[in-house]
Amino acid sequence: MIGLTNVEKYYGDYHALRGITANIPEGEFFSLLGPSGCGKTTLLRAIAGFEHLSGGSLTIDGQDMSRIAPHRRPTNMVFQSYAIFPHLSVAENVGFGLRKRKDINRDARQRMVDEALDMVGLSGYGSRRAHALSGGQRQRVALARALILKPKVLLLDEPLSALDKKMREQMQAELRRLQRQIGITFVLVTHDQEEALIMSDRIAVMFDGQIAQMDAPQTLYRRPSTRRVAEFIGVMNFLPAARVGDEMFDVAGLGKAFIDRSQVMNGAGTDCVAGLRPETLSILFDGSDVPDHSFEGTITDRAYYGDMTYYDVVITPGTAPVTISMKNRAGRPILEPNTKATVAWDPRSLIIFGA
Amino acid sequence: MAAFDATARRGLLLVSPTFVYVLLLLAAPLATVFAFSFWTQDFLSIDYTVTLKNYQEAFSDPIYRTLLGRSLLIAGAVTTVTVILAFPIAYFVSFHVAPERKALWIFLITIPFWTSYLLRVFLWKVILGFNGVLNSSLIGVGLIDEPITLILYNANAVVITLAHAFAPFTILPIYVALERVDRSLLEAAQDLGETRVSTFFRVTLPLAMPGVIAAVLIVFIPTIGDYVTPRLVGGPDGLMIANMIQTQFLKLNNAPMGATLAVLSMCAVTLVSLVFLMLNRRYLKTS
Repeated sequence: MIGLTNVEKYYGDYHALRGITANIPEGEFFSLLGPSGCGKTTLLRAIAGFEHLSGGSLTIDGQDMSRIAPHRRPTNMVFQSYAIFPHLSVAENVGFGLRKRKDINRDARQRMVDEALDMVGLSGYGSRRAHALSGGQRQRVALARALILKPKVLLLDEPLSALDKKMREQMQAELRRLQRQIGITFVLVTHDQEEALIMSDRIAVMFDGQIAQMDAPQTLYRRPSTRRVAEFIGVMNFLPAARVGDEMFDVAGLGKAFIDRSQVMNGAGTDCVAGLRPETLSILFDGSDVPDHSFEGTITDRAYYGDMTYYDVVITPGTAPVTISMKNRAGRPILEPNTKATVAWDPRSLIIFGA
Repeated sequence: MAAFDATARRGLLLVSPTFVYVLLLLAAPLATVFAFSFWTQDFLSIDYTVTLKNYQEAFSDPIYRTLLGRSLLIAGAVTTVTVILAFPIAYFVSFHVAPERKALWIFLITIPFWTSYLLRVFLWKVILGFNGVLNSSLIGVGLIDEPITLILYNANAVVITLAHAFAPFTILPIYVALERVDRSLLEAAQDLGETRVSTFFRVTLPLAMPGVIAAVLIVFIPTIGDYVTPRLVGGPDGLMIANMIQTQFLKLNNAPMGATLAVLSMCAVTLVSLVFLMLNRRYLKTS
């Protein structure tokens, strides 16, 4: 569907995109995730046609896009600012792109606008002006305006970043539902890893104009290929480790353990780093059996989130603490700082990175 | 004063100097002019009987109608020429000049207008004259054999001179309106299938309209009452209503008739301005 091959982009001396190669199949919800300045928006704008590539090729549906202007590409975009035309009504905004279609008469256009507004849950808002809408409603108008043209690809540039948390969660579910319903390719740019994990079929994590890893959300979270990706997505504890046998590793504070090859990332030598997600560690409360893999530590800090409690536990005094997240279940106490705790861990959820 | 709270009192105090100024130097003279228009000149004295005689005369004598019509026409032409010429300049500065150089450009645009208005009118006289800069250069390069007389001492000269005088005043409001146009709207229009040209007509121009209308009013209102330029470069065919008002007051010693003409030209300006303000409200409501 979308084929990116060795895509390069320079702004003067600044190298914004460095050899991006990716294939996005039809009907996929694809996300470009990365910190600001990583080139994700540049890449999206290049797909839309607003940026000329300095090198490499871009095809959509097998067709080379290098000489195709934005208004002739089979893509439509939802802008970060929504870009709702202030001088037009909601219906005129939604029907904006239909004006160019000579094959659609007034009645048909009106019907399509009504359908599109209905699809995004804004029936009856047609005659309103843009400034009379809330952020969430503007977002829906922008979405209806893009989808009414039945693009092959919908491009979304941080569409939810301006919404409050409740609204954002609602729109995430709605976008996902819409994408499944229409079945076209969505390319989403976001810096919010949670949003990318929730919505995408596949995520490309970008740093410094390059794709660091491109995988399904579960793979990305459970098997991040580099320490940087692991740090960017979710929280991860890093402990110094050493390879002591073929598949035996000695992790500081945790002891020796057998680690499967699939958990050892490229570049891990004799000296390496072990990564553990907070939820794969669990504090053993009184009365629990002590499993094979466990360690003793002291709680130094605690953050209560309602459904979860995050503990900072120092294993060896003088080293950095590890973070542990515990579900707050009925009958489970919230531990105070300066208490001793026994922590169980599982070698199967540990990842080894290069040092 | 008990009805006003502290904030209102402070507000009143702040506006009071301006208020007194407006009252004494705008409202009072205006009221006087208005009153005069209903009196009549009785040789050396003023007849204070209220009458519509001046208005009847103003409407029946074709000279006044011709002058007012010509003033409207010249002001309209100046406005059209100025706005049409100013728009591309404002557009260029807003869209094609690097952000850090915009202030410099605007500054440069205003430089020619640091010289006095009168000097600039005289300069145009030198440029457009029978043996002026324009004619002698055109003859010099052999484009014409005889000097063009179409460009001085007629309405054309008035239009050229006034259009030049008001150029920066139109560039600035249009520039400001264009600066406020969210650039992502232009990308959105292209994304939705519009070419660059059709994007201009469907998005940029409608959004710049408040600036264009402001520019129209800024030029139209003062030009219709201008009398320096027509007097200096207009010749007999380029005279405007303000010249007649001046003549009535100072030469014919008929202040009531001058006042009547002043009131009538004010009414004409008000009517035209109202039309544009109404147009503007349509655009202002949306932004």
